[in-house]
Amino acid sequence: MGTKKNDILQGTLALLILKTLASSRRMHGYAITAHIQRVSAQLLRVEEGSLYPALHRMEQEGWVRAEWGKTEKNRDARFYSLTAKGRKQLMQEEENWTRLTEGVARVIRYA
Amino acid sequence: MAWYRRFWNVLRPGRMRRDLERELSFHVAERAEELQAGGMSEKDAKRNARLQFGNFEAQVERTWDMDVSAWADSTVRNLRLAVRALGKTPTFTVTVVATLALGIGANSAVFSAISAVLLRPLPFPDGDRLVSLAQARPKVSQPFVAPVRLEEWNRLNRTFQAITGYYSEDESETSGELPEKLTRALVAPRFLQVWGVAPAVGRDFSPQEEHFGGPNAVLISDRLWRRRFGASPNAVGKTLRLGRSSVPIIGVMPASFLFPERNVDLWSVSPPDAPYAQGREETWFTAVGRLKPGVTLAEARADLAAVQAGLGRQYPKPDSEIAAVIGPLKEATVGGVRQSLWILFGSVSLLLLIACTNVAALLLSRAAGRGHEVSVRFSLGASRASVAAQFLTEVLLLALAGAVLGLAMAAGASRLFRALAKDLPRIEEIALDWRIVVYSLLCAVAATLACGILPAIRGTGRDLAGSLGQAGRSQVSGRNPVQFLLVGVQVALAVTLLAGAGLLLRSFQELGRVSPGFDARHVLTFNISSSWGETVDQKAAQRRIDRILDAVRAAPGVEAAATAYSLPGVPTDYQVEMKSEEGRAETEPKMLAQGRNVTPEYFAAMRIPVLSGELCRYEPNTATMMVNRSFATAYLAGSAAIGHRLSQPGNANVPVSEIRGIAGDARETGLDHAPVPTVYWCFGANGPGTYFLVRTRGEPQAMAEPIRRKIREVEPLRSVYGLTPLGEHISDAYAENRLRTILLAFFAVTAVSLACVGLYGTLSYLVNTRQREVGLRLALGALRTQILRQFLGQGLRVALAGCLAGLALAAVLGRLLSGMLYGVSASDAATLGGVVAIVLVVSVVASLLPAIRAARLEPMQVLREE
Repeated sequence: MGTKKNDILQGTLALLILKTLASSRRMHGYAITAHIQRVSAQLLRVEEGSLYPALHRMEQEGWVRAEWGKTEKNRDARFYSLTAKGRKQLMQEEENWTRLTEGVARVIRYA
Repeated sequence: MAWYRRFWNVLRPGRMRRDLERELSFHVAERAEELQAGGMSEKDAKRNARLQFGNFEAQVERTWDMDVSAWADSTVRNLRLAVRALGKTPTFTVTVVATLALGIGANSAVFSAISAVLLRPLPFPDGDRLVSLAQARPKVSQPFVAPVRLEEWNRLNRTFQAITGYYSEDESETSGELPEKLTRALVAPRFLQVWGVAPAVGRDFSPQEEHFGGPNAVLISDRLWRRRFGASPNAVGKTLRLGRSSVPIIGVMPASFLFPERNVDLWSVSPPDAPYAQGREETWFTAVGRLKPGVTLAEARADLAAVQAGLGRQYPKPDSEIAAVIGPLKEATVGGVRQSLWILFGSVSLLLLIACTNVAALLLSRAAGRGHEVSVRFSLGASRASVAAQFLTEVLLLALAGAVLGLAMAAGASRLFRALAKDLPRIEEIALDWRIVVYSLLCAVAATLACGILPAIRGTGRDLAGSLGQAGRSQVSGRNPVQFLLVGVQVALAVTLLAGAGLLLRSFQELGRVSPGFDARHVLTFNISSSWGETVDQKAAQRRIDRILDAVRAAPGVEAAATAYSLPGVPTDYQVEMKSEEGRAETEPKMLAQGRNVTPEYFAAMRIPVLSGELCRYEPNTATMMVNRSFATAYLAGSAAIGHRLSQPGNANVPVSEIRGIAGDARETGLDHAPVPTVYWCFGANGPGTYFLVRTRGEPQAMAEPIRRKIREVEPLRSVYGLTPLGEHISDAYAENRLRTILLAFFAVTAVSLACVGLYGTLSYLVNTRQREVGLRLALGALRTQILRQFLGQGLRVALAGCLAGLALAAVLGRLLSGMLYGVSASDAATLGGVVAIVLVVSVVASLLPAIRAARLEPMQVLREE
């Protein structure tokens, strides 16, 4: 495994997690990292040290709901799924992100 | 859901941690599997996965912080906001805290008594297995058990670990400079085994010491040990001089061991195999037993009934008519005060309810005044739940402050109970412990919910969000029905409490007004130490008592001196069945009477008149007695009673006695009991505990020293103790009555004050919010008296409705009190009318102040200010 870090921009982790969860019924933490890594073509790598605090924080905020279940290999895992509140939050974060990138892009173009 | 989960997380950190570790381990395991699938060895895969994950413990820690901190953050923020908000309104804060402190404090105080006296098991190992035993015989109220029977019960049963018994007497201990009175319990074998308590120092009685003729031995109390021996361990082995014998001390009991009575100083054995203890009619032990583990009371009853039936076949006379009675020892100890304590608890609970209602009304007014603040927060995006949570946090803070103050009150409660009723059973066990602290905190939480929910809901209504624009400009405010409902509830509850207190006060008053048939004023009572052994020679004992009485009479200021085995006016029950030697028809009622033993001058000392016949005297060959009028009219056709000879079947110690005269009826068995048929044997030497009664010319207590000196001249080796005016004994006998009356009266007055404050507060608030309306009306020509009448009327209408509801409630709850009332019925019109009158007058005063303020408003000023 490469050791080069692809740090995720501060504040975008929640957006990535929300988006990931929106595409599936429920996922455990490992699957979320794997998904982000795969979909971003290995450009983004989620640090375990940030993933779980973020997931738990989001659970406290009521964006995601967690429950214990079995993986297909019959292991116990904690599965996360999106709540209605989380869906709303996702919309808002996507909008923010679009606005941010658009803004940044304009600045870069004009500078 | 989320809130509940977070709270759960905080409460159950262990479980949450395990879950977290499970979740993170899963991640590491998945990663390792992937690496292994990529061709790594299992060992390397695991190591790498770990390495990549970083410090496992630190990750757990960080994630855990997320779970708790969100909750903690909002709690801290709410607390900070609450402190700031409350600090801005100090009067409000102090009022609410004081109200809640009073409610919670009184409640916790009474609960501390209930917890110690009624709820906790007796302070012995497995105290719930201790039972009291008695032998019952038809017609004879004498609970004591004969030593032979006690031993047989103990030997033949299958359900008890052990059965023992005790009685007590007062001793003179003469090894010191002056004879000292000590109370000694004489106990049957197995005494400490039954209690399950070992001496703190030294040892229990040995088997030899529990047999007749065995070595003497005595256990001493912790109190005596500290007083006489300075708590030195060398006290064991020293001797005490009791009567004519020297008795070695073998041990010291723990300070908490206060049985059979709290003032016992000595325990020694009364051997049941002694020759004088072999009669089946010789009853003197109060029996207690310890059940085997797992045995129920019913099983023990059946077992002992079978044992006693066997004894009945073996000794038909008298055992065939004797039954064994068993009950929980705790019930025998505290059963008498249960009702009083629960009634007090009920009344403080009503008080707490009033306090909560009061605070709820105050909070409602406060919430209404904060409409502006709330709408600002809504418009800034706060959710209704978060605003309500902040409101509740404020109330919780107030309630907790109230609970802490209340606890301080409860801590002093045991002292109050001791001052008001020092003979309350188990009173020394009343103390502040964790139970009381937990209880107070529960009270605080309950109070928070009770007073906070309604204001939190109403104060955060969505309609407020739109009120931003017109804040503070309410034209004519709403009707405020909820506030008035709350005030009405307070008045109703206060009326209920006051009615209860009024009824108890009235019966207390009635009790004081009773003419008891004897005169308790100017009578000094005391005891002189003696032992049961001395009663064997009755003649000598009587001579000794006469010698003492003569000495007492010689003291200046003494009018009459006598002895009695029980005190008149103090509830004592000694029922006997008498039999006429002249014979009576079988159809006539059985002669049931209270039996009293007195010396002849008793009637003069107590000022009980001799109605016919003459006063009894000691006669050389005949035992004599007096009967009261009730006895003579009920059983012996009035004055024909004189000359009649009566015996007491089944008690060989009582000789056939001739009636010499008829005395007036007196309330011998307690001030609250009407006189019953009574017989007085003219005989004064009944053994330890006999009371001396001295009628004095002046203050009885002032005669204590002269009398003590006179007795010392004739009986230097006996101690004189318990010098107390008769009136004090009688009032102590009604201490529990006094306790509940005083406390209930105090609670009731508090309740009325709170209800008044509630009425005043609500009306004042109403006047404040309607200033503009009142100003307008005045400007348009309304008369000031109209305004006054309107507000006053509003207050009075609420008070009146509250009174009616309160009376209905009192009528229902009054039945609980009926057993405690004397001379008044639970629906006494005068008392209830008085209560309503008091509450209405107080309500008028409380409503008048705000009403006057409304009527005095200056219209121009008010209208300009808006």
